[in-house]
Parts: sequence; structure tokens; C-alpha cells
Amino acid sequence: MAEHESESIQSSSVPHASAVHLPAPTVWPMVLALGIALICTGMVTHWVIALLGLLLIAPAVVGWFREVLPSENLVHVSVSTQIVPVSSSRAARARSPHGINHRKLLPIETFSVMAGIKGGIAGGTAMILPAALYGVIRYHSIWYAVNLLAAGGFVSWAGQSDAFLAQFHLQGLLAASAIHGTASVLIGLLYGAMLPMYPRKPIVTAGFIAPFLWTGLLYSALGVISPILDQRINWLWFVLSQIFFGLVAGYVVNLQVKVRTPQFQALPFVVRAGIHTSSADDEDPL
Amino acid sequence: MTQTNAIPISADEQPWVLPDKGIVGMWCLIAAEAAIFLIFVVAYLYYLGKSLSGPTPAQVLELPILGTICLLSSSLTVHAAVTALRRADVRRCSLALGATVALGSIFLLTTAQEWHHLIYEVGLTIQTNLFGTTYFSLVGLHATHVIIGLLLLSAVLLFSLGGHVTAHHAERLEVLSLYWHFVDAVWIVVFLVVYVIGR
Amino acid sequence: MATSTTALEAIDVTGPTSQPPGPGIVYQWLTTVDHKKIGLMYIVYALLFLVIAGVQAMLMRIQLAVPNNHFVSPQTFNRLFTMHGTTMIFFVAVPVLFGFGNYLIPLMIGARDMAFPRLNAFSFWLSAFGGVLLYLSYFAGSGLYGAGSAPDVGWFAYAPLTSKVFSPGHSTDYWTLAVLLSGIGTTGTAVNIVATALCMRCKGMTLNRMPLLVWLYTVASCMVFVVVSPLSAAQIMLCLDRYLGSHFFDTQAGGSAVLWMHFFWIFGHPEVYILILPTFAFINEIVPVFSRKAIFGYPAMVAASVGIGFVSLSVWAHHMFTVGMGPAGNTFFVFATMVVSVPTGIKMFNWLATIWGGKVIYRVPMLFSVGFLFQFLIAGLTGIMLSSAPFDWQLSASYFVVAHFHYVIVGGIMFSLFAAFYYWYPKMTGRMMDETLGKWHFWLFVIGFHLTFDFMHIPGLLGMPRRVYTYEAGRGWEVWNFIVGIGAIVQGIATLIFVYNLIHSYFRGKEAGPDPWDAWTLEWATTSPPPDYNFAMEPTATSARPLWDLKHPDDQDSSYE
Repeated sequence: MAEHESESIQSSSVPHASAVHLPAPTVWPMVLALGIALICTGMVTHWVIALLGLLLIAPAVVGWFREVLPSENLVHVSVSTQIVPVSSSRAARARSPHGINHRKLLPIETFSVMAGIKGGIAGGTAMILPAALYGVIRYHSIWYAVNLLAAGGFVSWAGQSDAFLAQFHLQGLLAASAIHGTASVLIGLLYGAMLPMYPRKPIVTAGFIAPFLWTGLLYSALGVISPILDQRINWLWFVLSQIFFGLVAGYVVNLQVKVRTPQFQALPFVVRAGIHTSSADDEDPL
Repeated sequence: MTQTNAIPISADEQPWVLPDKGIVGMWCLIAAEAAIFLIFVVAYLYYLGKSLSGPTPAQVLELPILGTICLLSSSLTVHAAVTALRRADVRRCSLALGATVALGSIFLLTTAQEWHHLIYEVGLTIQTNLFGTTYFSLVGLHATHVIIGLLLLSAVLLFSLGGHVTAHHAERLEVLSLYWHFVDAVWIVVFLVVYVIGR
Repeated sequence: MATSTTALEAIDVTGPTSQPPGPGIVYQWLTTVDHKKIGLMYIVYALLFLVIAGVQAMLMRIQLAVPNNHFVSPQTFNRLFTMHGTTMIFFVAVPVLFGFGNYLIPLMIGARDMAFPRLNAFSFWLSAFGGVLLYLSYFAGSGLYGAGSAPDVGWFAYAPLTSKVFSPGHSTDYWTLAVLLSGIGTTGTAVNIVATALCMRCKGMTLNRMPLLVWLYTVASCMVFVVVSPLSAAQIMLCLDRYLGSHFFDTQAGGSAVLWMHFFWIFGHPEVYILILPTFAFINEIVPVFSRKAIFGYPAMVAASVGIGFVSLSVWAHHMFTVGMGPAGNTFFVFATMVVSVPTGIKMFNWLATIWGGKVIYRVPMLFSVGFLFQFLIAGLTGIMLSSAPFDWQLSASYFVVAHFHYVIVGGIMFSLFAAFYYWYPKMTGRMMDETLGKWHFWLFVIGFHLTFDFMHIPGLLGMPRRVYTYEAGRGWEVWNFIVGIGAIVQGIATLIFVYNLIHSYFRGKEAGPDPWDAWTLEWATTSPPPDYNFAMEPTATSARPLWDLKHPDDQDSSYE
């Protein structure tokens, strides 16, 4: 790294007097803009002004063209160099020597976003179980939860009775599958994106923290998203299903291989080679 | 963190390449133009069948097969012009450019013919009804772009006939060809919306 | 940290830049294609319009300060609010932000100029002439009856009020054509910014090392393509309606007024984000420097900006809840609007995390940045309130809405702009702005701002509609309007101090030197003001903070990438 750095300093501080080529000043862009503006002005005042605009546009277009072709019109600005020192005005006081952790490198390893999506799919599949169980226990039908979810998408089912929702409906099943599948993948994606924040214990974060997060989010937003669902939902069962979802998702994520973040590159070689443990694992006060 | 410095970071000394600014600029312009066309297309579709009086599209529009074929094949010829110029084959480039300009002009003629038919024989103008309003503005907007493209292509053609175009200008011609491809692509949308869905 | 002095740039101008006196200097500015000069022209031109539109706001507040007032005529009042809104959005906010972008982006990425310098000049002049055309309406009204024919259809010019029948003469045409010109200019500059950011970066400046300011300007410019173009298209349609007699927005012939609303707000709402993203960009640069810490969560900031860009394209119809779009439409736009607050919240927390544990230096730029953080949060919260359709049904087109979006534009965009002025003025002129005057400006403006726009929410909640010419006494609105009027005057005084400070410091300010703030981006590696060619030798970026690396060779950012 040190080599790399000194190189760049050298290359930029070599005293070097020469000429720089810059695009030449030209009046034509301004004239062209004026011509177009005059046409517009002519539209609100008198056509003669628009004619004047047209007269300006013609030479402006030609002038601009000749500015760029056959070769770009450049001016030569001569440069004589002087050193501009780059230094920190705040570096006057010597700082106490900093340890290895003066810059936090977190996390060193994490799960990829794909792991979150896989977890979401697995959790979504598993969540069917508690949802069906809820339907069977409360309404003696495994279709109730399915239809209730679908009712979030069908406004026409708003006034339907519990008995209706307990029956099998093909479109209900399809809609619910679509909603549930999308939501599971999205939640998995969100979860995967959040994983670097708590990369160590995926089962805890997925199983307990995340369900309460989603539930809180949905609890506040559901009245707007789907009032029907909001009326009938049983929040206790909902949280339980979420926890089940999370536990399965976390379990699946835990099985995935961790990936190394770019910060891993900054670690000493002994740590990267696995000879010493990473000091970033140590709990040090900020 | 003293050890850190000792670790060599993969000093990839690859040459520093950046995308060509002409191409990027043209893509940006295309994005902006596409948005303008999108609004006109939305207006066309939104007002479809909402005219309070006739004539309707089904009564007066005919498929502009010849024009469409000409315009779409001009995309191929302009591409041929760019590849020829890349290989410094100026003669072939001029030939392809000439073909492009000719095909584009034929397209423009068919449009003009259609407009003449609609305005003077059918009596449909931009003021007649919503169909006239949206049809003339959408097709007219596209035709304006064709005219601009034709002017630019003709300028290049004249310069190449005069021997001022060399392989150095291949990048610039490619920018222009990108614009022309865009005009063609828009025509596919306009064709589908106005002549297929709209009828 | 031991002191380290390294020379990055070797820069000087041979001989004094001999500026020809008299007409020569005018010609020099008319013909310039230098991004710095064009940037300065954008900024100065926007400041002129800021003063004009500010005076218009002041006149309106005086008119509304007491009930049954007849300070101006109803016709004048309509023109005042139309011109105030149009000017502030199209001829103040957009040009001043693009001015800063023009000035800073090439410097920050170590380039000598924008990608298309001539297009840059063209775009500037087109916008500038657009503004002149708009104000020509005051002088050159058709037939010269009354006081000219300034547009009076409101800044979103709803159909069918804009049709020939209801808006005879050319007043609406002035609005349409001026906005169309400015729109084309805006698109041109946006093309330029994207091409510059992608194609002109100096060696080593990869996309993930690009300063956040450049990133955010790039995102905002990409939004311009898909957002300003619909406005241009709609303006073309309106022109066709008014000049050729087509029927796009003619309700008598089956045309739809709602279609105009959709087209306008497809532009109108993302436009707010086009304006706010560059101001986020200023905060992204200023907060780390004055907290003495690197920005927290660089990739998250980039992702959040792109996220805002995308989501904000699908929220426009929350301006139209009262139109009656049906439950599905309402639900979608409520939800999309609420979702926008998520990436914005990410940004908010990242700024707080940047300040957290930093050694904060409360110079004037940082004061304005803190003001921004606080006020933009409140503005966002009232935005979430309004995003709920039932709430909006109650308060749409009331002063609550006016207070909300002024909180965004003044409390957010203006504060961040002021911060940017104090921060980059030394780079642009070579002199520091006066700190004492700056503090007076800040405190007076904060007090005036909160007097005006905090209390403006209340008459809105009490049912005062926007755009009313005057009102009867006894509705409980008088006190609040009076306070709002006083706040407007305080803000006016503060702005005058600011303008005085700009002029005063140009002649009397302390010499700034190349790097007065001890900052980390490349624009501080050259002299102040920079020479025509910016950098004598093209700089090399080793990390997202190239100057940090040079100042602290033993603790480099590049080791952590």
C-alpha cells in the first residue's frame, strides 16, 4: 500500500510546466439559445421577433458545428506550476498512539443477501403450518387463513362471512400464494440486507427480533394496506407464525456459508490466514 | 494497525478506461426523449375511442407497410455505415449512408402522403376530434425526429462524399446511428399503438 | 497523528489572468464555456430571481397579514402566487442547484471541464432566457391592458383554466413557453452531469470512490430525464391546444383535465426529489467535514439515493387524492408515498451517525446543516401525515399543505443551500464569508422561518384554503396570519444580511487559501478560486477521501477499502 501511495504523490507533484488545452470560448451556444428564446417570444408577441430568432439560429448552428468539426477548437492555457501544500491544519497536536481498533471493522464476515432470500423462502413454506393450524383450531378449516390473506387482495370479499372464508376457493388459493410468496421473498431480501448488522446469531435475530419488527410495521400499516385483514386478524397467532417463520429462516441462513466483507482485506495477514483470531471479535469499548 | 501497511493490496494496474461521453450523452438524451414519447403514447391510448365525433381510426387509417419496412431497414444500413467506417471503408460508408437517407425519405414521403389523404380527402385535422389531436401530435412528433435525423445523416453524407469523413469519425457516427436506431424503435411502438392496437 | 505535508497539486496561473476591462469582460462571460463561470452565472442568476420571488412572497404575506385587506388587487394576487411558485421552482431552485453542480462536479472528480462544455453554456442560456421571457410578461402583455399579462393560473396551471376560453390573451403562453425553455435547459445540463460523472473521472476515481455529492447529482440528473421530459411533453400539448386548437385538455371535446394533473404531477412530485437530492448532497459533504469523521454508511447512502430516485417516480398521485381515483389507486399511492420515507430515514440516521461521536465544529455551514436536519425531519413527518389519503381529504389545498411543502423547500432545500454557500464561497471567490454576519443570518433566518412556517400549519388545520385573496375576520385565522407575516419580514431581513455578506466578503473577506475547512475532497486540492484548467496535473484518487490519504499517510482510507 505504501508503495502505491508514494507513487501517486510522486506522479502528481512532479514540477511540470506546460500548456493545457481547454475548449475555446464561443458565442454560438448563447446565440442559439437566444434564437430559440426569440422564437418563443415571437409566439407571444409578434411574428417578426420569431423571424429574427430564426435568422440567429442559422449562423449559430453552423458556427457551433465549425467549433467542433473538423477538429475541436481549443485554446492553449499555459501553466506554470507552484506547489500547493496539502496538509491538515488540525494535525498540530500529536495524538496518542492508536491501537488496532481505532477504526472499527465490522463485520468481517457476514451472510450474503441470497442467504436471506433462501431463508425467506424456507420460512414462508414453513409458515403455512402454523397458519393452517390456526384455521383448523378456530374455524375447523385449513382454508380460512388462505382466504383471509386473499381477501386482502380482493376488495369484493370484504363483507363475506367466516363460513365463506372457511371454504375452498381456487382464486383465493392462487391470490394468497402470490401474496405470500412475494411477501416471503421480500422479507427474506430485507432480512438478508439487515444481516450484516447482526451477523452472529441469525436464529435469534430472525426468530425473535425480526418477527416483532415486521409485526410492529404491519400492525401500524395494515389498516391502510388492507382494512379487511386488519379487522379479522388474530395478532397472537400472527406473531406466533412470524416467530415460526423466523426460526426456520434463521436456521436456514445459519446453514449458509459466510462471505467476507471488504473489510476483511484490511486485516493483518496472520488473521486472514486463520493463525490468529481476529481482534475485531474482542469486545473493546468504543 | 501498523501491519496493515505491509499487506499489498492487489495493485491492479489496469489501464484507466471510461465510457465514451458521446455514447453516454446520447443514451441520456434517448432516455429523455423516450419519456416524452411515452407521455404522448399514454395520451393516445387514454383518449382511444373517447372522441365525441368521427372519423375513427378504424375508418381512416391503413397500415403503412411500405414506410415501416423502409424505416426499419434503414436501421440496418446505418449500422452498415458505422461498421464500414470503422474499417476505414469510406466508399461503402457513403453508400450505406445514402441508402439510409433514401429509405428515411421514403418513410417520410409515405407519412406525408397519409397526412395529405387525412387532411384533404378525409377532412381530419388536429382540431377535428381527440383522435385527430392525439394522432397528429404523436405521429408528427415522430416525424419531426425523423426529419432531424435525416438532416444530420444528409450532412454526414455530404461530408463523406466531399471526402471529409475518416475512420476517426466512427465514434461520432456511432452516436448518430444510436439516435437513428432510437427513432426506428419509437416507430415500432407508434406503429403498434396507432395502427395495430388503435384500430 | 504527526503532521504531514504533501504536495498534491502544483498549480499557478502564469501571470495575472488579464481580464479585459469594460465590454471585453461582458463578452468573456457571454462566450465562456468554462464550467466554473457557467456555474457562477447560474448561481447569480438564481439569486436575482430569489430576490424577486422573495419580494413577491413578502407582498402576499402583507396582503394576508390582516383580514379584509386590499393591499394588492385580486388579479395581482393571483399573478403573485403564480409567479412566486414558478420562479422559485424553475428559476431559483433548479438553476442554483445546477450552478453548484456545474461548479463542483468536475472539481470533485478531478476533471478539467464538463463532458460537453458548449452544451453546458447552451443549457444555461436557454434557462436564463426562459426566466427573462417569463418576466417579460409583466412588461409586454398582449395589448398592454392592466399591468401587463403575467400568468395567473397557479404554478401547476390546472386544466381547463389554461384553455383559450378561460385564459385569453398570452399570459398562460408566457408560462408554458418559459417553463418549456427552462425544461429543455435542465435536460441539457442533466445529460452533461451524467456524462461528466461517468466519463470524466480522474484516474483511480472508481464509482465507489466518487464523492457522494457527485453520486447524488447523478441520480437527480437521471431523474430529470424521466421526469422533466413529461412536463415538456405536457407543455407541448398545452401549446398545441392553445395555438393549433387541439383538444388534449379541452373538456368540451372529451379531453381530460385529470390527464393534465397526472402529467403535471408525474413531473411535479419527483421534481421535489430532484431538488432535495442535491441538497442532501451538500449535507453529505458538509456534515463529515465539520464532524471530523468520514461519512457513515457510504454504500447505504448511495443505495438510499437510488432508492429514493426509483420510489419517488411512483408517488405522484398523492397530490390528487381529492380527485377520486378509487380505493386501489389511493392505496397504492398512500403506500408508495410512505415507502419513500424509508430511504430518506436511512439518510437521516446516517447523518446522525456521522455526527455521533465526532468532534463537531459549529461554524456557519454546520449550523445551517443542523438546521436542515431538524427541519427536514419535521417536514418529512408532516409529509407522512399528508400521505394518508383520509387526512389529505381534509387538508388538501389548505395552508397546512402550503406550510408542509415550504418546510421542505425553505427549511430543507434553502437551509442546505445556505450551508453550501458558506462552505464553498471560499473556493469560488478565494475569500471567507464573514462569520459574524453569517451567524446573524442563521439565527434571524431560523427565527423567521419557524415564526412563518410553524404557525402556518395552524390556519391550515383551522380550514384556511390556500390561494385565497383575503378572508373575513372572526374565523380564528387573524393571529396566525399576522405572526406568519412578521416571520416573513424577519426572513427577508436575514436574506438581506446574507446578500450583503456575499458582496461584502467578496471585497473585504479574509483570504481563504486552498483548503480553509481542512476537507477531504479534490476541489480543495487546488487554489481558490481554481484556475481555468482546475488542476495543472490530473490528480489520482486513492480512496473516497483522496485528501485525507495525503494528509494522513500513516492512516489511509485506502487501506480499508
